[in-house]
Amino acid sequence: MKRISLMLVVLTLLLAPSLGSANPNGVGSGTFDAQCGGACHGDADMNRSSTASVVVNAPSVAYEGLLTSVSVTVSDIETTSTGLLGFFLLSDLSGAGDTPADAGWTILSNSEGGSENYVEAVIASGQTEHTVHWTLRAPSVGTATLHASIHHGSEDGSEAPFFGASTSPATIDVREVPEDLPRLASDFEPPVRRDIGEATTITLTTEHVDQVAVEWKVSGGEVNTATVSTSGDNAWEFALPASLQPVQLEWRAHLEGEGPDQTTPWFQLQSEEPSWSVDETSAYVQSMAMLFVFIAAFLSLQRQSTTTAKDFDAFDSDEHEEVA
Amino acid sequence: MVSAPTLHVVTTELAVGSFAMAGIAFLLAGLGSHGWLGMKRHLQLADHVAHFALAFGLLALPFAIMTGIQSSPGEGLDHPLLINKMLLGSSAFGLAIGVLLARRAHGPDIWTRHLGRRWQALGGMAAVGMVLLTASLGGTYARGESLLSWLPFSFDTVPLMPLWFSTALLIVALVNIGLVRKQPSP
Repeated sequence: MKRISLMLVVLTLLLAPSLGSANPNGVGSGTFDAQCGGACHGDADMNRSSTASVVVNAPSVAYEGLLTSVSVTVSDIETTSTGLLGFFLLSDLSGAGDTPADAGWTILSNSEGGSENYVEAVIASGQTEHTVHWTLRAPSVGTATLHASIHHGSEDGSEAPFFGASTSPATIDVREVPEDLPRLASDFEPPVRRDIGEATTITLTTEHVDQVAVEWKVSGGEVNTATVSTSGDNAWEFALPASLQPVQLEWRAHLEGEGPDQTTPWFQLQSEEPSWSVDETSAYVQSMAMLFVFIAAFLSLQRQSTTTAKDFDAFDSDEHEEVA
Repeated sequence: MVSAPTLHVVTTELAVGSFAMAGIAFLLAGLGSHGWLGMKRHLQLADHVAHFALAFGLLALPFAIMTGIQSSPGEGLDHPLLINKMLLGSSAFGLAIGVLLARRAHGPDIWTRHLGRRWQALGGMAAVGMVLLTASLGGTYARGESLLSWLPFSFDTVPLMPLWFSTALLIVALVNIGLVRKQPSP
């Protein structure tokens, strides 16, 4: 009887983790291989096929080390209980070692305000299409491919792991940069986030550029032109207006020089509520104080309790079973 | 090269596993010291396991904290949950050290005292509970959910004291510890 009880307890403990191992609230944005982003969704024995279609859009030509823009559009999105939809940008679909970085790409930003290959978007009920943009620095010369995959839950909250992937990859011909091609400097990194109510001045560093024009727009809105001024050799400065609410602003630059004119991809700039801050010194000192207060309090408590007489032989016998 | 998030999982499981074992052992020791449920014959075993597991958990905890900071997506203490996690963690750390120091000072006799055995068992279990709550805050911060999300506690506000008050409290606590340690055990 005891063995059966023990067996039941062990079985319950073994089965319990599988009942609650899903992440219905997502895992947050991050740099993940397709498998690591959600093993249940990537496991062919466990997952279910999503009915959504996934398409990767990328330019057919990119220049080595220069910035390019890639977008992943998911249509026919299934409504889920949490609305969370995970997007992966991948260099292949092998399931391991398949982030863009593994193929030499460098992600500078994504349209959800981060710089990771995996982002989670919240899809409103009834919304059937969503696009995520990435800005990447191209790898070395050759033919590069980019895939995309998605994962999500179900509408009934059963946490079924749905998985979907692009049927065909985007193929990009990565070429050497022509000598006099007007371009952004290789060390230029566009800002990704800013606080609400804060205007942003961007200093653009370029190579082989004689003139710069900058356009900006609120996502899906009208295109405006920013005033650009020179700021030293191969440096240009322009200001983007402050936003009054969390919104995504996009901007791009037209570069003119001796070589063929170039237009950068749209760069995304997400404005967010100012981050929460605290006096860190006070927090650290209070933390230390709490540590020593608890030590002192417990030692004092135990010292006081030793003043009472011994009334129980703890390790010696079973004679005093009932105490106090 | 193993990434910080992977190491954090390993060290956290090491620390949480040790503390969980310590919590159960403190419960058994508390029952045994009162002679309840026929546990008295296991008191010595539970006593050793509880304190050893608690000490091992304390050794593993700094590694979990360091890898946790390295794998944190934000910069610095930029969220109320992180401050509360730090405050709760340091309180748990202090209570656990207090429990171990008390056991070291009084020896196995601590289980023979009318109040001492209760404080020791409750202190050990409270320290473990606080550590587990601290660990669960990591899940709440990273994934928006944890096993202990159902508890009626909100960690969105930070009970931060003025710097002068924290400093005064720290000094008083250090003096208190010095005095308690200086006095001979009765």
